[in-house]
Amino acid sequence: MDYIFNGIIRAFELLLTGDGETYSAILTTLKTSSLSISCSLAIGTPLGFLLGYLDFPLKRQIRAVVDTLLALPTVVVGLFVYGFISRQGPFGELGLLFSISGIVVAQTILILPIVISLTATAIEGLDRRLRPTLLTLGARGKGIILSSLFEARFAVMTAAITAYGRAISEVGVSMMIGGNIKWHTRTMTTAIALESGKGAFAMGIALGIVLLLIVFIVNGLLVFIRRRY
Amino acid sequence: MSTTEKRTLYELIDVRHSYNDLFTLQIPHLVIDDGSAIGFIGPNGSGKSTLFRILAFLETQSNGSLLFDGFENPEPSSIREGITLLLQNPYLLKRTVFENVSYGLKAHGDTENLSERVHEALSWVGLPSDRFGKRQWFELSGGEAQRVALASRLILKPRVLILDEPTSNIDRESVSLIKDAIETIRSTHHSTLILSSHDQLWLNSLTDNIYRMHDGRIVGTGTENIIKGPWNPDVDDLWSKTLANDEKIFSTQPPDKDSVALLNPSDIIISNVKQSRISAQNMLQGTITSLMLSDEFGKVTVEVELHGISLTCSLTQHAVNELTIFPGKAVWVIFKASSLQW
Repeated sequence: MDYIFNGIIRAFELLLTGDGETYSAILTTLKTSSLSISCSLAIGTPLGFLLGYLDFPLKRQIRAVVDTLLALPTVVVGLFVYGFISRQGPFGELGLLFSISGIVVAQTILILPIVISLTATAIEGLDRRLRPTLLTLGARGKGIILSSLFEARFAVMTAAITAYGRAISEVGVSMMIGGNIKWHTRTMTTAIALESGKGAFAMGIALGIVLLLIVFIVNGLLVFIRRRY
Repeated sequence: MSTTEKRTLYELIDVRHSYNDLFTLQIPHLVIDDGSAIGFIGPNGSGKSTLFRILAFLETQSNGSLLFDGFENPEPSSIREGITLLLQNPYLLKRTVFENVSYGLKAHGDTENLSERVHEALSWVGLPSDRFGKRQWFELSGGEAQRVALASRLILKPRVLILDEPTSNIDRESVSLIKDAIETIRSTHHSTLILSSHDQLWLNSLTDNIYRMHDGRIVGTGTENIIKGPWNPDVDDLWSKTLANDEKIFSTQPPDKDSVALLNPSDIIISNVKQSRISAQNMLQGTITSLMLSDEFGKVTVEVELHGISLTCSLTQHAVNELTIFPGKAVWVIFKASSLQW
């Protein structure tokens, strides 16, 4: 048991002394997860709105596919994206493999179904009187979309936080697409996996604490916003 | 009497609208003049809300023509601008009262003197802006929410103001404030008012004409009473409907068992004592529920509750004085079987 306690003490030392390698992994994680959540929200929120708001042929089938993709295994996304951005792949020339951009692309694909599906559910759950209310108050086109999303803002925020949690905690994509390159593409999760494998628990525990802290802060923020309104 | 010529705003010709064969609205012909105030009365499910949604261009009728300002079946998005509808159970946006009331103006891009105009609209419905403006949607009572929803429509100063039972489930004070608010906007902006309510006296006080609706159809104009079936064959070639206290309403032969009978308020006689040796077959016990001065000179509109139905009668002021009628008084309601029209 001693090695665990020693690991925790050492973890706090790494965090408090500003260990470069530890903070590099933290920053890389924040960078990739923030970029991927931004991209997935930009793409997924309008698609989720359309899926929840409109009635069109094959809607139920598309919804079933999106819902199925919620359980998309990270390694499958990693493999799929790897195939496309590796040298032999169609996008090989973009040089995305083993880069932060590559991780962002793969993570965006990974969490996009979460944003689309949960946004669609939020829009479907809106009060049926909302649309006639907006129309009779004079809202049109873009105004109806934005107002509907605003009415569903808590559910959309929950979607964003769920997606962010998935992005920040995944290992498969970061490992396969990022390559776990020290000082460059090494994220908190890939560092924890590597350091634990080497028997060096201290950095793993330090990064684990930070990961938990971020998740708590983000969820706490959601609880705060919900209570306020 | 206005000297200006009446201008037709809405004209509905052979309009039909169905929901999965479960309900059909059928309006053979209906004209609503610009600047008029029209009331619709009828039981739940009679088609008032469906008609209002069509008039507000939220739904398009399945068949028939709707002319608005002379244009047949116009493109809804081009017409909705000046028309606003307050739904039966209005929805407040999940925002503050100020944001709810100002939403429509912002949606129209009309944000000049926004605070002052919101303040004014809230004052019309009796909600001081300084006390209510910052309240969230969930911090309002039912009556306050209804008034905020109404203020959100009144602030638009619409050409057509459609209100679907704006007084349902709210207290008496709010009902009075809503009436004042509607009168304010009509007197200042001459909006066309289309209104429904279960409260006929309240409706009378705000509108020029009242249409009665039943089962998707306009079954009468003015203040005719509606008596629903079922009707069963009875003595002397008469038919009857049995009330909750086993009293019967006698009629002539209806077109079918479930027909709706219309009874003109002026065909009803009120008596303090049970009459004998009269030709009228219907003599029923009732209780006066309300009195209101009628628009018709010298007349009073009296509502009488029978056992299960409410009838509106039209009496002269002299008769009201003679009979010393007041709410709560037990009376006899008398009318001929042949007064019931089909």
